[in-house]
Formats: sequence, C-alpha cells, structure tokens
Amino acid sequence: MTGARNLVLGQAPHIFHPQSTASLTWGVALALSPAALWGIYCFGAAAGFAIGASIVSALLGELIVDGLSRRFTLVDGSAFLTGLMIGMAMPPGVPLFIPICASLFAMLVVKGAFGGLGSNWMNPALAGIAFAILDWPRQMGAWLLPRHIAGVVGVSGATPLEFVRQRIAGLPTLADPLGLLKAAGFRFSDLDNRVTDFLNQVFFSRIGSDMPSGYFDLLIGNKPGSPGELSGLLLLAASIVLIARRMIRWEVPATIIGGFAILTWVFGGLQFGTGLCSGDVLFALFTGSFLLVAFFMATDPVTSPSTRIGMFVYGLGIAIIAFLIRVFGSMSEGSAFAVLIMNCVTPLIARGIAPSGRQEAPAEKEI
Amino acid sequence: MSSIRSFERGGIRIRDDRETDQPLPIANAFLPNSAVVLLKQHAGAPARCIVRRGEFVREGMVIGRGEGRGSSNIHAPVPGVVRDIRRVPLAEGGETEAVVIALEGSFDRLGRRMERYVWKGMSRGDVLRTIKDRGVVDVEVPGQPLFDLLSDRESGGLLILNGVESEPYLRTEASLIRERALEIFDGLALLAKVLAPSRTVVAVDESCPTEGLISAAGTETPPEIIRLKTRYPQDMRNQLLEAIVGAKRKSSASALIIRPSTAMALHEAVVLAKPMMERYVTVSGGAIKRPAVLKVRIGTPVGDLIEECGGFLGPPARIVLGGPIRGFSVHDLDAPVTKTSSAVIALSEREVGRLRRGPCIRCGRCAEVCPERLDPERLFRLITNRRYDEAQAWRLHDCTLCGSCGYICPARVPLVAAFATRLGELPSANREAGR
Repeated sequence: MTGARNLVLGQAPHIFHPQSTASLTWGVALALSPAALWGIYCFGAAAGFAIGASIVSALLGELIVDGLSRRFTLVDGSAFLTGLMIGMAMPPGVPLFIPICASLFAMLVVKGAFGGLGSNWMNPALAGIAFAILDWPRQMGAWLLPRHIAGVVGVSGATPLEFVRQRIAGLPTLADPLGLLKAAGFRFSDLDNRVTDFLNQVFFSRIGSDMPSGYFDLLIGNKPGSPGELSGLLLLAASIVLIARRMIRWEVPATIIGGFAILTWVFGGLQFGTGLCSGDVLFALFTGSFLLVAFFMATDPVTSPSTRIGMFVYGLGIAIIAFLIRVFGSMSEGSAFAVLIMNCVTPLIARGIAPSGRQEAPAEKEI
Repeated sequence: MSSIRSFERGGIRIRDDRETDQPLPIANAFLPNSAVVLLKQHAGAPARCIVRRGEFVREGMVIGRGEGRGSSNIHAPVPGVVRDIRRVPLAEGGETEAVVIALEGSFDRLGRRMERYVWKGMSRGDVLRTIKDRGVVDVEVPGQPLFDLLSDRESGGLLILNGVESEPYLRTEASLIRERALEIFDGLALLAKVLAPSRTVVAVDESCPTEGLISAAGTETPPEIIRLKTRYPQDMRNQLLEAIVGAKRKSSASALIIRPSTAMALHEAVVLAKPMMERYVTVSGGAIKRPAVLKVRIGTPVGDLIEECGGFLGPPARIVLGGPIRGFSVHDLDAPVTKTSSAVIALSEREVGRLRRGPCIRCGRCAEVCPERLDPERLFRLITNRRYDEAQAWRLHDCTLCGSCGYICPARVPLVAAFATRLGELPSANREAGR
C-alpha cells in the first residue's frame, strides 16, 4: 500500500478502545493464575518449577525470534501466556527438560517460524503440549495425588480419566465412571465424602436419588492431574470473568461444551454398557484438560475463526473430535488434539463461511 | 418520540471522560487578535484572494471569491489589516493559502437584528443567491456549499436535521438545539421553503433536551422528532437513514441531511444578513479544564479557545479539530477554526494511549462493529498486498471511514488510514457511486 510507509502518527481515530492485544493476553494470564496456584498448592514446588521453567523458556524462545527479526514483543504477553499454558498442562514432577523443550518448540517452530503473533496457524501452547505428549508419553502420563489426599507430596496416582480407561476393558456390565472409580478403589478426599453425604441427606434423598461420591472432588480439583486441568471451579470462574468482560468470545466454549455434553450424554454410556442417553456428562466435563482447552486455548483469536457462524462450526468440530478421541482413541485425553486439528481447518472455515455482509458483495470487478 | 431507534448492525458505544452526556452551556469567545482565514474551507477549489497585504478589511467583507462548483466565498471574520497572505497546512492534509488579519478598527455591522419574518417574502431564487453570496457551507467535512446542495435537489424527499452527536465529547449540535432552538427552527423552515420536502425529521440523541424546539414551533406544526440511541456512528448518513427510513429503503431515499449548525448559519445569513464568519465549536477533551461550546469567529487559533476554557489540565497528547474518532489532528495551537470545525478536542496522554501497533490477531472485532457490513481485516490485507481489484470486490468503496474498526482494534492496526488513502486514490465517480 502506498500509504503504509508514510502513515503518520496522529491519524484518526485518535482514541481507542481500552482493550489492546497486550491487555487481552495479560488478562487471560491473570485469569489463569488462581488455577495455577491451586496446582502448586496441591503438588508442591515441583509443579511450580515446571510452570516457571516453561514460562522462562517461552520468553527466551520469543526473545530469540525477536533478536532475529529485530523487534521486541515480550510486552504483548503472548509468550508469557503460552509458557504459562504449557506449564499448566505438565504433570507435576515432570522432568524439567520436557516443559523447556515444549515451550521452545512452541515459540520457535510453531510461532516464530511462521512470523510471530498473528501469523501462526496453530495454537503454540497446544502444539507444545502435543509435542511433549507425543515425544515423552511415559513422563507425560505420570501423575501425582494431591498432597492433602495422599498426606505427603509425591504419591503417584492415575487421573480419573486414565483410571476409568485402564479398567473399562474388563468391565462388569452396567456401570458408570464414578461407580467404576469407587469399585476400583480410586481415592476420593474425606471432604468429598462429607459433602456428598451432606447433600444426599438434605437434598437428594428427598427427591429419591443418590449422588455418588466423586463429583465434588472433580469440581474443585481434588484429583491427580496437571495444574491446569485440576480445578474446574477456578477455571469456570475465570472464564465467566473473561466472557463478561468480553475478553474471550462465548461462542467457541459454548459450542464445544454444548456439543461435547450432548455427545457424551447420548453415546457416552455405550462403552459402559448402559445404552444410549445414559452418559455421565459432569464426569466428562470435569475430567482431563477439557475445560482449560475449551475456554482458554480454543478461544485463541489467532487460530480460531472470526465470524460467529465460523466459531460455531469450529466449536462443534472440536466437540466431535474430542469426543471421538476420548472414546475411541488410544489416549485418554483428546481435547488438545481436537483443537489442533480444528486450527488447521480454520482457514477453510474462514474461506467457506461468508464473513459479514459478503453476500452483498457485487460480482462485477470493473475499474 | 415514543421509542428510541438505531441502525441495525455493528456500531459501538464509546464513552468519554466526561460523566454527563448533557449539552454544554454556550458562550461567546473573545475576538482573535489575529485571525488566520483559510481560503479553502469547503469541498471544492480554494477561493480566489481579492485582498492585498496591508489592505484594510471591514468585518464581513468578501476577501476570497468562490470559484466554481464546490467553492465558496470567504469573508473577513473581523475588521482589521491584512498582515500576511501565506500558505498554511490544512488539518485534513495538504495546504492552502490563508489571509492573516490583525484585529483593528470598529465593528459596523453586527448587533442590528432584522425582523424574523422578513425571509418569508423572499423567493426561492433570492434565498439561494443569498446563501451563495454569504458563503454558507455545510458544517460537516468536506464542507459542501449549501447552494450546491440545495440547487441540485428536486422538491420533495426527506429533510433531516441531524442533531445526533455520536462521537465522544462533541456537544455542539445538542447545545444548539437546547439554546438556539428558535434560530434553528427558523433555518429549518427556510430549508423547507426552498426544498418543499415531503417529510421533515429532527434526529437527536436519546438524552437530548428538545422542549425548546417544540416551543419554537409556536403555532406552527412542530417537526417530527426522532430519538436515536447513543451509539457510534449513529450520526453518519447511512446509519441515520437506516434508523429513520429503515435499512431496505435507505439507498433509495432522497434525503438532505443538515446539521443544526448549518441551519444556524443559514438563518444568520438570510435573516440577519450575516455572512458565514462564525462557528459554534465544542472545546473539550480529557486535557481541557472547563469544557464549553463557544461561538467563535472563523480564523481564531485553537490555542485561544483552549485558553478561554481554562487551559490544560495536564500536558495534551494530541489536539484534534473535530471529533476524536473522525477528526484531524493539528500540528500546533496556531491552527485556525474553519467553517467545518465542529470541535477542538485536547486529548490527554492517557486517552490517546501509547500507540503500540501490533500484528493483527484476527479477533474479528472490526467486522463485528463495521456498520456497513464490511470485513476490514480482509480489506486491509488486500490493500497492503496491492490487490486493489479484490478490495473493490469486497466493497471497499462502501467504507464510510467512520473509524469504528480502527477504534476497536486491539492491535491498533491502521485500518482507517489505509482505507482513507486508498479511497482517496479511487476515481471520485466511483466513490460517489458507493455512497
């Protein structure tokens, strides 16, 4: 463009909306921090080291790219956020070289090599996490029990999702995930037992039903898992704030969660032999990194569609793929890969779905 | 009046630093010691200078003669001596010749009020000739001469008095509607006489006081008042028509849209026989101590007006002629008020923010707020890649440069500047077609 070089400061508009790229990214990072702190509380310093190492190496990676392209972009917060997200997805006690490699891969290969913020076509954090899972599956599948359940730091234990997955093969018919966990001796916290008992006594017994133990632990994050996927409650609270302040769009998480919930309810019971329309939606939503991915990673504006219909298509795609991976895939956790696959489809969505008002575009191209 | 209307799509609520959206009190500004009168304050060619350096000019005397369509007469706003005739930069870009008048001598024509009903005996031709002679132009940039706007039109159609101020800080029109209702109603009646419109509408913000306008009508039928939502860019032509006649009929609607300031100038030109040498200007912004609407002689330096409003609260980051979204920033405090300056806005450092341009993060907010249903992100990319034909196919020519996309963009991508540059390079016929 002829004007691009001699654009002078002071051109209209002279004032801007208070939300800038930097305030958006730092805002999301801030919203994630309570969940990260809860993870550090549960798993001790090791989880903190993983998050720290990941952030530092992400910043370093960005700095290397900045040096090569002669600019300075650390202040926009995107490198910090990528590092934070990768760190939060690491199992506590993971060897530190894994988050470091994952972050460097994310910043150098996925983001930097394609031109930095705005030009990458995959979410760098998710790509880094996927890189780690695929390269070091054993270390990335070694989980710990929260210290207030185990009594000490460092007792290993499978995540609820993996626990169910490992035992589902030799399953007596007619079960459900929580029943399975209980039967197999999965450890719930005392608090969960007490809360469940209380709720059953004062509420559920009166309407003739019974709440199994486990939901409370899943919701507040008393379970093995990565810091980022631990507390559904903190993640939900953070995302409500972000959506209310219009810092992330509601369309993407709403479609992902809605689609995933419906699929789980309709088909989720099949693998437990309980037939159609009997899946355990709450268990599905509050296990694995599902909420973290749906609210914080799938909503990355760079790699998701920018039109509302596009967002619905994208969210639905993630829901379907995540569900298929969870039920039929070789891994217990699939939402990260589902988003990465839909990241690749995003340009197609942008092309296929008419952006605002395109319908009115005149066909003739004279001049 | 029962319901508050608005346009259908896009737009944005922009808040400013002032707590109230009520009109400001109108005051008379002091006369400038030295007036810098631009010879181009209108859409067309600059007026031809007919005074020489050292010459004495009387108040209201023609000093520049309008040359052809789009051009307009320029009058001496104050009596005095022509100190200098020099080239000065235009806020909109480019430069023009200006006559610098040092205030001197006595005022001989103001203050004598003519009877209010005089114009009712005038013919349409008389009215048109009067407003041409007295240099009345539309107060909106680029300043179409009112004579051109009126003489081109056939009778009938829609006449809209546009009192909507959707840019932050601007209060000129709302203040005029509150305090000068009688004169504005008169100007509107004059227009109605010339145009014989089939419908006359007064469009105002939801919060604008309109009692004055209704009582100004007296025994005559009061104009139809339509209240519009405070939502940017409600004041622009397409959005006004969308709210008033509906989205489907807006392109076929034949409408003349006039600002209360223009109606005021029309009234003064015809009823008070006064050439267009004054302008009502909002002086406001986060860096201004006491915001006000001032009645200002054309050619007054913006610095004088700011001083009159108590000066700066803190160091201003930018001074804008017009609104903070569509206005033009000026180089210094000597920049003069012109016929198309609706406001002098001094913005604080905090308001302007540090302009940190980043890469587009494809958030899609620009397309969401665009009231013309364009895809600014795509247009910007096409323009930077010089794919102009494709940009046309994506309706670049429908861009009204309202600036909503530029305001909302979190990466501060210079969308509006790119569109303005490109639209400026398009053949004008093509641009008109898109309007």
